[in-house]
Amino acid sequence: MEVLMAPVLWATVVLPTLLAIAFQILGFRSRQSIRVLAYVSALILLAPVLLIAYYLGYRRVGALVDPLVLDLSAYNIGSIGLVLDGLSAPIAVGISLVTALVSVYNVKYMEHRIGELHSEGVRVPGLNAYFILYNAFSSSMLGMAYSSNLVGFFVFLELSLITSFLLIAFYGYGDRLRIALMYFIWTHVGGALFLAGILYYGVNVGSFDILVVDTMEYNRAMARVGIEGLAVLAPLFIILGLLVKMAVFGVHMWLPYAHAEAPTPISALLSPNLIGVAGYALARFSPTMFPQFVADIRDILVFLAFVTIVYGGFVALRENDFKRFLAYSSISQMGYILLGVATLTGFGVAGAMLHYLSHAIGKAVLFMVAGVFITEMGGLRNMMLMGGLARAYPTIAAVSLIGFMHLVGMPPSLGMWSEILILLGIIRGYNPGTPLTLITIALLVIVAFMVTATYSFIAMRRIFFGPLRQGKAFEGGEVMDEFKVTILIIAVSGVIAFLAVELLLEPLRTSVSPLLELVGGG
Amino acid sequence: MVETHYVPFLPWSLSWLAPFVGALIIAVAWMLKVKDERVYGYTSVLSILVSAIVSSYAAANVLSKGPLYAGRDLTWVSWLGISLGTYYDGLSALMAVVVSWVSLLIAVYSVKYMEGDWGYGRYFFFFTFFVGSMMLLVLADNLILLFIGWEGTGLCSYALIGHWYTDEEDKWVGRPGRRVLGYPMYFEPSHSGVRAILFTRIGDLGFLVGIAVLYMVAGTFNIVALTSAAPEWLSSLASKGILSATLLILTLGALAKSAQFPFHEWLVTAMTGPTPISALIHAATMVKAGIYLFLRLTPILLAGAFALTTTNSYTLVSAQLQEYFTIVAYIGAFTAFMLASMALVSDELKLILAYSTASQIGYMFLGASASGLLLGMVAEGVVSGFSHLVSHAIFKAALFLVAGWLIHVAHSRFIDPMGGYARHMRLTALALWLAGLSLAGVPPLSGFFSKEMVIHMAYTADPLLAVAAVITAVLTAAYTLRVVVRVLHTPPYSGAGKSLHAGEAPPTMLLPYLALALASVAIGLSWPTISKVYSRMSELTLAVGSPVEAHVELSGLTLVTILVILVTVVAVAILYSILGARPYALAQKAPFDKLYNFLYDRWYGNPIIYMVFLGGGVRATGFLKEADMGIDYFYHSLTPKAGSLGAWILRSLHRGRTEYYIALYLISVAVIILVLLLTR
Repeated sequence: MEVLMAPVLWATVVLPTLLAIAFQILGFRSRQSIRVLAYVSALILLAPVLLIAYYLGYRRVGALVDPLVLDLSAYNIGSIGLVLDGLSAPIAVGISLVTALVSVYNVKYMEHRIGELHSEGVRVPGLNAYFILYNAFSSSMLGMAYSSNLVGFFVFLELSLITSFLLIAFYGYGDRLRIALMYFIWTHVGGALFLAGILYYGVNVGSFDILVVDTMEYNRAMARVGIEGLAVLAPLFIILGLLVKMAVFGVHMWLPYAHAEAPTPISALLSPNLIGVAGYALARFSPTMFPQFVADIRDILVFLAFVTIVYGGFVALRENDFKRFLAYSSISQMGYILLGVATLTGFGVAGAMLHYLSHAIGKAVLFMVAGVFITEMGGLRNMMLMGGLARAYPTIAAVSLIGFMHLVGMPPSLGMWSEILILLGIIRGYNPGTPLTLITIALLVIVAFMVTATYSFIAMRRIFFGPLRQGKAFEGGEVMDEFKVTILIIAVSGVIAFLAVELLLEPLRTSVSPLLELVGGG
Repeated sequence: MVETHYVPFLPWSLSWLAPFVGALIIAVAWMLKVKDERVYGYTSVLSILVSAIVSSYAAANVLSKGPLYAGRDLTWVSWLGISLGTYYDGLSALMAVVVSWVSLLIAVYSVKYMEGDWGYGRYFFFFTFFVGSMMLLVLADNLILLFIGWEGTGLCSYALIGHWYTDEEDKWVGRPGRRVLGYPMYFEPSHSGVRAILFTRIGDLGFLVGIAVLYMVAGTFNIVALTSAAPEWLSSLASKGILSATLLILTLGALAKSAQFPFHEWLVTAMTGPTPISALIHAATMVKAGIYLFLRLTPILLAGAFALTTTNSYTLVSAQLQEYFTIVAYIGAFTAFMLASMALVSDELKLILAYSTASQIGYMFLGASASGLLLGMVAEGVVSGFSHLVSHAIFKAALFLVAGWLIHVAHSRFIDPMGGYARHMRLTALALWLAGLSLAGVPPLSGFFSKEMVIHMAYTADPLLAVAAVITAVLTAAYTLRVVVRVLHTPPYSGAGKSLHAGEAPPTMLLPYLALALASVAIGLSWPTISKVYSRMSELTLAVGSPVEAHVELSGLTLVTILVILVTVVAVAILYSILGARPYALAQKAPFDKLYNFLYDRWYGNPIIYMVFLGGGVRATGFLKEADMGIDYFYHSLTPKAGSLGAWILRSLHRGRTEYYIALYLISVAVIILVLLLTR
């Protein structure tokens, strides 16, 4: 491990919001100053990518620790510290990359959206206020990825929920107030369950530390907490709470509304980034806090994962609204993350974490593409009215293909690595010993992965191919402004991540063995 | 044992790297909206030329010195032990030469053929990427790198089959409006693209599951290491009884890529792509990937089994291997026959060639798997499969490139408006005749020798398979001659006026197919020399072991085969040209109409697949969509209603009526006492 010289991690959590507040107070409201704010926020938010690439990837430092640690041991809470290790690196990279580029993307989109709301006669806080909420939302997600302590994690989680709730309520589409409330209530059902579970552990251990900041080792006292009788509810609550947040099959009801009707830049953060963090939390907490319990329910979780993949994918095939389609696709993708984690093997967990990043890249690209049609084609969202758009938007079609390839797991996208690792996790976890088990596994994998490929390529065709239905073809006339270039950059980053996967995979490899020590994986 | 030579990553890996670099340059030019078509075309041709030169040089080195291994220590993903290794042995080096040179000729042809196309840049990006992926697949030293190339070919075929994605009717395949069992039998380019990628992806996932299982048992993805460890992992898998299942799941990938039954449907509708792409997919890349993988794998499996001969596990391993090879051999033979029968009645030029491809690849699977059935003659099996692969690559590329020109001249993809072209374009006619006769298996063209070797292998393994192979050879001769004679020598059946401008193709299009057709002759005529190369190749191929003589013995079977093929060729030619037969009239009458429709509609394979999978899938999505609305109703309608009901009940208890409060108080106390008593 290495302790950073300056509190850089805290800076990425605090600075963007402070900056946006400062702009608001100082009254910098011109378009130019908003762009400055967007770009500077983007640069700060991008810092974790560089830190991870240099320290964890290149120098092979096991973990990075922020020097600023809030010691609350006196209150039996432990130390609130911010850290980065191999396990959280893909998560932090995903959040950092997407939030930074969407920050720039925001300017044109939200100008359009706020203008639209004004013309409807709705008074909403302006772009400056939007950026305060946006930056706070982005930073709080980074905070979750950095947290070494359950209380810290929960505080950031709450912050992310409140800010995203406000963003949907102010700037969303359709029946936004009702949907925002629905989102708030359901995610809090998940949050409350999670809180109840961690309180049991925290009170029994006398600390909420998951990782001991000084040594970056797991707090093994957590696993020693007895969970018998009614106390079995504690891990169950934690898992249930996280599954609600992940929106796996059965508790996914809130997601299609929230993700489809949020303002599109927020959808691009909610869908891949926020819900996936619950998958990361599942991987980080369950094998270290209740190894026996999670090993006992492994098969149920794996089954639930397959059901989620297939269910989300099948329902997505029936959706005609582009954003709702993407929302169901996200449910399906959460199945992959759950699948990887539930195998409780090093390959599976590493694959799930990488899949967080590939899904973040792919889904952000696709939501941002949806945003392009909304702003430039008169609010076009209905896929029945699309078709042939590649003629008008060749580059956008190309990046969408890359986006879908991340979901499907095709090279040269990072998705290929996550797909392979998750598959290796399944094979290692279940170690097929008879033709029947082998064929069952093969069939499940083929069906599940095929569903993703099917809806992806069918959607590609519905949106981009066939005769042009709306608007005019203007070959060579597609304007690549900064709004669209951000999408291209995210897509290309996915290809770079595919090539440079070693930088993420080696840190993951070192961090999964202590993680899975108690469940016998690794 | 031949020694492997370790060489540096560059320049030896340029054989696959150069096309990728070319594709990258094209992509950047496309992003920068470069208008000059030459930038795209020339970059592509040049990068493939580099690849062809490097692989030829490498192959020459391999044949003289032994296998070359580049970049073995260039680690890419250390956790999985994956390096960026390029491995040239006999099989991969010769395969790389064939792929790169055939692709180069097709690229040259494309420069002119695609002139003025609105997707020119995109075309050459995917074309070049396609070649790079195929070269990577061929030369990869490990299964993951191979898989990346594998998926790359899938992606590019998807993009190129759907190249004209705006779906104008003249770009479709099949007769517009024709339906069977309610399902359309005509396909738009964008639809065909989706079909191609989804059909093959089923196999790809099987392939991935297969290599994941191998990795868990053998602990490596490296092909060389897998070869030396084969006895261990074979016996380990066989002892669990999952050897044949694992191999079959893995081979799903090869079968799907190579369009073997039941995956053949994607290939026949892939004809919506530009014709050079059909040539590329059928001759050099994509469909050849599947059979290549199988040729790569077969000797490893068999050598592993031989090493176990003296051990206890040999019986288990060999029994499961034979099980596996038998299934593959029969799939190959069945596909060869099935698709050849469809080609007999098809009236679309490219479609006939497409049927023929799947059918001929069936031969290759048959030849290679015969050695598995025999648990021996490995070199013969591999050489028979590979030599037919080479023959096919050459004559099929020529046939497709000729077809591209003919379709252009006729303004139609159907053969009915074509006819009498021999007078207008003698060189093209020559190319079509030579390539066609090679496909038909007429001596002394290359197709004859390689097909004979396959039939011979099949006969040695299982006479039933040989019968299927000979019948297919007769069908092949018949459908090939039908096309050649009708297109070149008989008057068109319809729309005669359209071919008035017929003439030779421009030189950059003519030369590639003429060169390929002449190569078919040259290889056939120099078979004694060529067979020595194949023999040397087998000696230098991983785990193959002893070299073989790849000559054709003049056995009774060979004589019979030659005879029936020649009779068919002459009979069909006379039937159409001199007698002017028009079997269409016959096909209208009972009972031939049923047979005709059965063959024309591809044995009803497509409607059956659509009914089961698509129909089932659509019903499932519909059902789940309803279920989803049910779940939504439960959470967002029932739950709030239950909440309001509960609130109403609670509220109604608190309306200030003393008797309610007293009753509640008493009930509560009673409950508490009860609980305390019961839990003591």
